[in-house]
Amino acid sequence: MSEPLNEKPNAKELPTLGSAGVMLDGRYLPPPEDKAGKIWIRTSTRVEAEAEDLYAIWRDVEAAPLWQEQITRVTKTGEATSRWVMQSGDKTIEWDSEVLADEPGHRIAWRSIGGESDNAGEVIFEVAPGGRGTMVTVLQEFRMGKLASAWETFVGRNPKQAVIENLRHFKAFAETGEIPRTQGQPHGSRGVIAGIKESVYSEKVPTPPALSRKAS
Amino acid sequence: MKALCWVGKSKVEIQTVDDPRILNPHDAIIKVTRTAICGSDLHLFNGFIPTMEEGDILGHEFMGIVEEIGKDVTNLKRGDRAVVPFTIACGKCGFCKKKIWSARDNTNPNAHLMEAAYGYSGSGLFGFSHMMGGYAGGQAQYVRVPFANIGPLKIENNLPDEKVLFLSDVLPTGFMAAENARIQEGDTVAVWGCGPVGQFAIASAFMLGAGRVIAIDRLPERLELARSLGAITVDYSEEDVSVLTALRDLTGGTGPDACIDAVGLEAHSSDLQGIYDVVKTALMLETDRPSVLRQAIQAVRKGGTLSIPGVYGGLLDKVPFGAAFGKGITMKMGQTNMHTYMKPLLERIEEGQIDPAYIISHRISLEEAPEMYKVWRDKKENVTKIVIDPWAETMAA
Repeated sequence: MSEPLNEKPNAKELPTLGSAGVMLDGRYLPPPEDKAGKIWIRTSTRVEAEAEDLYAIWRDVEAAPLWQEQITRVTKTGEATSRWVMQSGDKTIEWDSEVLADEPGHRIAWRSIGGESDNAGEVIFEVAPGGRGTMVTVLQEFRMGKLASAWETFVGRNPKQAVIENLRHFKAFAETGEIPRTQGQPHGSRGVIAGIKESVYSEKVPTPPALSRKAS
Repeated sequence: MKALCWVGKSKVEIQTVDDPRILNPHDAIIKVTRTAICGSDLHLFNGFIPTMEEGDILGHEFMGIVEEIGKDVTNLKRGDRAVVPFTIACGKCGFCKKKIWSARDNTNPNAHLMEAAYGYSGSGLFGFSHMMGGYAGGQAQYVRVPFANIGPLKIENNLPDEKVLFLSDVLPTGFMAAENARIQEGDTVAVWGCGPVGQFAIASAFMLGAGRVIAIDRLPERLELARSLGAITVDYSEEDVSVLTALRDLTGGTGPDACIDAVGLEAHSSDLQGIYDVVKTALMLETDRPSVLRQAIQAVRKGGTLSIPGVYGGLLDKVPFGAAFGKGITMKMGQTNMHTYMKPLLERIEEGQIDPAYIISHRISLEEAPEMYKVWRDKKENVTKIVIDPWAETMAA
């Protein structure tokens, strides 16, 4: 059973409910609601792998661009800190991040500590019921206005959806070693409407390269 | 290369497009030697399936020769001959481990679109809308096959393409339909729709021990094929024929032990409910025309089984769920778990238990395919199955 996140990343008014844990003392915990410029997303998946191995992939922050969308470079700047670079369309943003809690094989929590993104998050790895792989639950918080969120949705991927997609990529990457992709496959001539559909379906967001495509 | 592209509702055309290339380590490129047009391609052609984009390459029944493999493909090599299943499996997720191959998690790059529509996402499919992954299909000279270490079935015998091509979809689909019907020795099984899936459901029902199979359709050439397998046929378009009465008459009043709906969302019906569905779908108040489903629920015996290989796309209206509950029926449905059935069915073909090529009525070149989509839609020229040789020069029609 997961403990709630108590580090209160970013600001003291963070609710103590802000845990990636889906349960507490046998009760289901609903995800936190968006309010006052804070956007929350909680999502989970079940991966056919050991928690220790999944923790290791997640904790290797410099490898994050292999499976996280639009993250082009991550550089370690200390034992618990790193510099993140994100490319969204023509726009590049950078921020620093620090690890707040690090429980090998079980849990990682982090927050931004300056730069162009204000975020905090937590991931928990637990043995799935019946020993069927590992349940991976992510809680991510952004501080972002509705307008900025709508803009991101329009130009690429809704920020909440991006967290869901990244967890999906993580699972595919961990289970199969690759991330399913269609970018680069042949097609006939696309009209204007097909172009709009590609945007609406977020098909223009580059699929992360996965491990074996490191070279490109 | 040349490929058949979806341009819009009721319009497909042959375009020259880029050759596919390896994009992921488990990819293979297949040179397509034979491909077929499926009944479900008509759902795309007729605009019933959302999230199609102009320029999409269609086709999910194909086979060919391995041209190139990604660095992590170990089971195939250049020059191998293989049939490719229409569903794309990763082989590694929890669903693949449970052999629910069509539900696997890791092969649909657009899973979020299907989650928005259905709540959950299934596997990626070739040439079947962006909701189902947006993968380019096989009605083309070459095709990229992702997760080629799991899907393609190597053909190591000398059987001609036509005898094994239908392992890509319709034969396993028909077989799973019969298996889902939970047939006991001597059962009476009713099959709606005598297209390719219905044909193979009939043949499989007999292979699994059915005592009587009743085949329902309106097209004489299809009913004739069904009779050639030993089925009793009911032509629902004939005057004075009521399918429900016919099924009672042929089962001593109890109804068939199992019903198979091999028609799906675009059922034709000449009675009042058929008009009702056409009006409601036109007004976008329902997405499917479920007249066969309604009839099958009404027809099946108490405690019987309803198996649904026919494709449904969305929201259905006026489905007699009270009758389903009252009779305590079991329903089984879904995309085919291809990978379970391909190898055992190949063995049945090799042993001569079934020759799937009997359903083929038309053999054409790629250039002829756009015109044949219309023939297939309108069921002209006694069409029962169209097979394309993507490398053939245009033959005389």
